Amino acid sequence: MSALIIDDIAVSRGAGPVIQGVSFRLEQGRVTALVGPNGAGKTSLLDGISGVAPISAGTIRIDGTPIEKLSRVARAKQGIVHIEQGRAVFPSLTVRENLSLTARTPAEIDAALARFPELEKRIDAPTALLSGGEQQMVVLARAFAARPRFLLIDEMSLGLAPVVFMRLLPIVSEIAEQGVGVLLVEQFTHLALGLAEEALVVASGQVSFQGPAATLREDASLLHRAYLGGAAA
Amino acid sequence: MLQGALAGLAAGGLYAVLAVCLTLMSRLVRVVNFSQAATGMFGGFVAVWLVTETGLPIWLGSVLGVLLAGVLSGVIGWIAATWLSEADTTTRSAMTVGPLLLLISLSFILFGNKPQPFASIISGPAFTVGGVVISQVTLVTVSLAIVVAVAVRILLTRTAIGTRLRALSERPTTAELLGIPSKPLSIAVWVVTGVISAIAIVVVAPTQSNDAISLAMLIVPAAAAALLGGFKRLDLAVVGGLVLGVLSGLVAQIDEVSLIRNFLPFLFIVVLLLWTQRKEVWDAAR
Amino acid sequence: MPHADSGLARSRALRFLWPLAVAVVGVVAGYLLSVGLSGYFVFLAVSAVTAAIAILGLGIVTGSAGMIALCQLTFAAVGAWVVSLFNVLEVPGGFVVWLIAGGLAAGVVGILVGLPALRLRGVNLAVVTLGFAAAFDVTLLQIQFPGSKDGIPVLRPEGFSTDRGYFFFSIIVLAVCGLVVFWLQRGRWGSSWKAVAFSERGTASVGQSVQQAKLTAFAVSAALGGISGGLLAGQVQLPFASSFTPLQSLALYVLAVMSGAYLIDMAIFGGILWVLVPELLKRWGVPQDWGFVIFGALGVQALTSGTNLGQGIRNLWWKRADRRAAAAREAAKADAAADRAAVEPPAEASAPPAPPAASASDEPALSVTGLTVQFGALKALDEVSLEVPAGSVMGLIGPNGAGKSTFVDAISGFLPHASGTVRLGGTALGRMSPTKRARLGLRRTFQQDRVPPALTVDAYVRFVARRRVTAEEVAEVLDFFGCPPARTRLAGVDVGTRRLVEVAANVLAKPRVLLLDEPAAGLSHEEHLELGARLREVPARYGMAIVLIEHDLDLVRTVCSTLTVLDFGRVLASGPQDEVLADPAVIKAYMGETEML
Repeated sequence: MSALIIDDIAVSRGAGPVIQGVSFRLEQGRVTALVGPNGAGKTSLLDGISGVAPISAGTIRIDGTPIEKLSRVARAKQGIVHIEQGRAVFPSLTVRENLSLTARTPAEIDAALARFPELEKRIDAPTALLSGGEQQMVVLARAFAARPRFLLIDEMSLGLAPVVFMRLLPIVSEIAEQGVGVLLVEQFTHLALGLAEEALVVASGQVSFQGPAATLREDASLLHRAYLGGAAA
Repeated sequence: MLQGALAGLAAGGLYAVLAVCLTLMSRLVRVVNFSQAATGMFGGFVAVWLVTETGLPIWLGSVLGVLLAGVLSGVIGWIAATWLSEADTTTRSAMTVGPLLLLISLSFILFGNKPQPFASIISGPAFTVGGVVISQVTLVTVSLAIVVAVAVRILLTRTAIGTRLRALSERPTTAELLGIPSKPLSIAVWVVTGVISAIAIVVVAPTQSNDAISLAMLIVPAAAAALLGGFKRLDLAVVGGLVLGVLSGLVAQIDEVSLIRNFLPFLFIVVLLLWTQRKEVWDAAR
Repeated sequence: MPHADSGLARSRALRFLWPLAVAVVGVVAGYLLSVGLSGYFVFLAVSAVTAAIAILGLGIVTGSAGMIALCQLTFAAVGAWVVSLFNVLEVPGGFVVWLIAGGLAAGVVGILVGLPALRLRGVNLAVVTLGFAAAFDVTLLQIQFPGSKDGIPVLRPEGFSTDRGYFFFSIIVLAVCGLVVFWLQRGRWGSSWKAVAFSERGTASVGQSVQQAKLTAFAVSAALGGISGGLLAGQVQLPFASSFTPLQSLALYVLAVMSGAYLIDMAIFGGILWVLVPELLKRWGVPQDWGFVIFGALGVQALTSGTNLGQGIRNLWWKRADRRAAAAREAAKADAAADRAAVEPPAEASAPPAPPAASASDEPALSVTGLTVQFGALKALDEVSLEVPAGSVMGLIGPNGAGKSTFVDAISGFLPHASGTVRLGGTALGRMSPTKRARLGLRRTFQQDRVPPALTVDAYVRFVARRRVTAEEVAEVLDFFGCPPARTRLAGVDVGTRRLVEVAANVLAKPRVLLLDEPAAGLSHEEHLELGARLREVPARYGMAIVLIEHDLDLVRTVCSTLTVLDFGRVLASGPQDEVLADPAVIKAYMGETEML
C-alpha cells in the first residue's frame, strides 16, 4: 500500500497564501475526513494537491516520487482523481459518454455502473437531464472507472437532499475498501467523521487537528477548539 | 438575378467553410480566431510563390501551402494553450489580432500588396440549370462546406476523440483532472481548422479579389455567418455563409444599392446580435 | 483642527492644479520643439500627436472599459471627412469649429455602432467593429473625401498655418484632450468604465447602468478618434482613404494594448512609437511593413502575458509604496487593538443577549412573498416569504446550497425569471433591473470579489455611494470598518480587505436595505468578530436594515435581531432570533448537523 505524502505545502490565491505549512499523509484504503469552517482553505488544499492551483511551497509525493511539479493531467495519470464541488458532469455528454472518458472498455463502464442501478435506464440520456443525485452518481462512477489510487472529494452533499447524500456515502467507503485513499471534504461534519478513520481539521489555512476521527467524534469540545484554529490558541 | 445570386454562391461556400471552422474553434477551444482567414491567405500565397518561382506542380505547391497554414494555425494555438489556457474567450480572441496584423504585413513584405496570380486548381462550368451556369468552384466550395460540417458532427458525436473534445470544451478543468490531455488536443483543433480554411481559400482565391487584405478580411463575413449559429451550431453556420454569399451576389447586381454591399456583413452581424442578445444576459453566472 | 483643514484644502487645490500645470509645461515644451525641430521632424511630430490622440481614445475603450474596438481609424476617417466637408462648404468658424464638429460626428457614429453592442461584450464587439472598419474602408475608397477630386486643400487654423505653427496647434489640442481624459477618468464616468471592465454585475448592483458606462466609453473614444482624424486632415490637407485602413486600426489597437494606453503618458508614448518605429526602419533600409510585424509580435506578447509597458513601470514603483503602506497599516492595527484591550472589555462580553428588534408598528424595510426561482428541474427557491423590519439586522442562515445566494440574486434583480413579489419599503419592485433597484435603495454585496482593482479606495467608495460625500464622511466610514485609507489602490490590498471596503462603501450609500453575502469570508477570526460588532451598530448609525448571510452562529447570535433559516430553498423558520433558534425543526434539520459551524 502506498501513501500520498503532503509536506509543508502552501497555496496562494491573489494577494496572499490561503493554505500554509500543511503536512499530512493519505493512506490507501482509508477515508480521511477534511473538515473546517467555510473559507478555511479546504478547497484550495484539494486544488493544490490535484494541480488545479499551483502550490507555492512544499512537496507532494507518492511513494517518494515528487509530483508537485507535474501538470494536472500527469497527476491524474499518477492516480489522483479530484471530484470538484458542485456536480462535475459534462452536461451535454450522456451517462455512457461521461464514463467512457475514464473507462478503458465497455466492461469497465458496466462494472462502474453496477453500483448504481438507478443509472442503467438513463445511460443514453445527456447528464444535464439527470437529477442532482443522479449526476453525483455519474461523477462517482466516472471517478471509480478511472481506477484512482487517491480520490479527493469536495463537498459531495452540496445541494443534495439528505436522503440522496446518505445513499452516496456508503459508496465512498466501498471505494476506499478497494484500496483507494479517500480525502473527503464535507460540511456535514458528523457524517464525515462517522465514515472516516482519520480526520484533519483546517482552520484559517492551517491544520489545527490531525488524528483518528474517533477522537473528534467523542470529544465535541476538541472539535470546537480545532475549528477556532489559531484564534483559540 | 438568378445568375447573380448563384455567382455569389461560390463566395458563400467559402464563407460557410470558414464559418464552420470559426464555430468549431469557438466551441472546442474557446476562441474567435481573427487570424482564421489570414493563415489560409498566407498558406495560399506561399503556394503561389512555390508554383511560380520554384516551378513546383500546382498540386504539390498547394499541398505545401495548405500544410504551412496548418502549422501557422497550430503555432497560434500553441501560444493560446501555453500562456492563455485559463484566460477568458475575450483575451484569447484578442491575442489572435496580433497574428492577423503580423501575417498581413509579412505577406506585404514577402509578396507585395498586389493580388496574387493564383493558378486555378478547379475551373470551368460544372453544369447548367435552366440556362444558369454553375461553376465547378461553386460546386466544390458548397460541398466542402457541407462535407466538413457533417464530418465534424460525426467526429464529435460518434468517436472517442470527439467525446473528449466535447468534454474539454464544457469543463476544461474537470476534463484535465480526469487525465484528458487538453494541450495536444486543442492544438490539433487549431491545426485542422487551419488546414480546412486554407483548402477553401486556395480553391476559391483564383475567382475572388485575392490581395492579402481582401483574403484576411474574409473573417468578417465568416464571423457574420458563424453568428447565425451563435458560434455553436454548425448547420446554421453553413446556412449563414450561403445566404450571405447569395445576398451579396444579388446586391452586386443592383447599382443603386451597391454601397450597401460593403455593409452587408456588418448589417448581418448587427441584426443577428440584436436578435440573439435581446434578453439581458450577465457577464458571470453568479 | 484649522491647521489640518487648511492642509486638506491645499492638497485638494494641488490635486486640481497639477494636471493643469503638466498640460501647460507640455504646451511650452511643444512650442520650443516647434521652433527647434527641423522641418521634417515637425511633420513627423504632428503624425505622432494625431496617433497619440487616437490611442488615448483606444485607451478608454480597451484599457479602462475592457472592450475590444478594432475601428479607431474609421472614427478618425469620419472626423477627417467632416473636416474636409466643412472646408469645402466653407462653414464659418474655421478649423477649430470643424475639428470639434468632426469629433462630435465621430462620437455620434461611435454611439450608433456601439448601440447594438450595448449588451455585447468582448468578442462580439470586436467582430462588430472589425466588420464596420472593413465596410467603411471599401466605401471610403468609392466615395472619397470631399474636395479631394478638385484638390481643395483643408485650410489650417489662422496663425497656425505653417507646419511649425500647426505642430504647436496640435500640441495644444493634445493637451486639451489629455486634460479632458484625465478629468473624465478621475470622475464618475471613469470609475464606471473601470468597474464595467471588471464586473458588469458589480457595476449594476451599485446603481450604475452598464449600458451607459459602455456607451460613454465608446462615444468618448470615438470622438477622440474623430479629433485625431480631423487633425490629420489639417496636417496633410488632402486626406486619402489609405491613411485610415482597417490594417492600421488593428495596429493601433495592438499598440494601445502593449503600451497601456489608459495611462495618458503611455498613450503619448504609443503615438511616438507609431512614428518612430517605421522611421527607424526606413533609416536602416528595412521595409516599413516590418513595423507592423513587430507590433503584431509584441502585441501577442503583451496579450499573452497580460502586462503592458506602462503598468509594468508603475507596478515597480507601487510595489515599494504598497509595502510601506501595508507596514504602516499593520502597526496602526496593532495600536488600535492594544488601545481597545486597555479601555473596553471584549465586544462579545459587553453585548446584550439579543439586540433590540425594531418596533413592530414600522413598515417593513423589505417584504418578500412567494419568491420562487427554478433552475431547470431544480427549485432553488420555493415560495419564500419573509419580512425584514426597518432598522434591524436579519440573519439568513442555512447549509451550503440551501439557496441563500440565490435569494440575494433574486431580490437584487439578477434573476428576472424569479416569480413572487418583493417590496422595498412599500414599493413593489416587479421586474425592475438591478440598476434601478440599487437606485431605489436596495444594495447588495457579493461572495465573489466584485471590487474593481483599477480604482483607488476613495474613487470606489464615491462611485458606490452615488451621492455627494465629503472627504470626512469617506474617512469616517473607512475608519469605522477598519479599512485602509482612502488613497490606497485597491489592486494593492488582499481580497478580504477589498470585500470590507465593499461593505463600507455600500453602507455609505445609505440604502434602505443592504444585503451582505458572507462579508466575513476571508477575514481572520478577530476581524470577523470585529465586523460583527460594527454591523450591529450600522442600523442606528447609518439608518438601514441589513440582511446578513453568515455561517458563524455565535456571530449571528450577537448581531442579528431576527433570523430566517433556509433549507432546500424553503423557509424553515423565520422570526425573532431566540424563537427561531429554539424551533425544534431548526434544531433537527440544521443545528443538529452542524452545531460547530
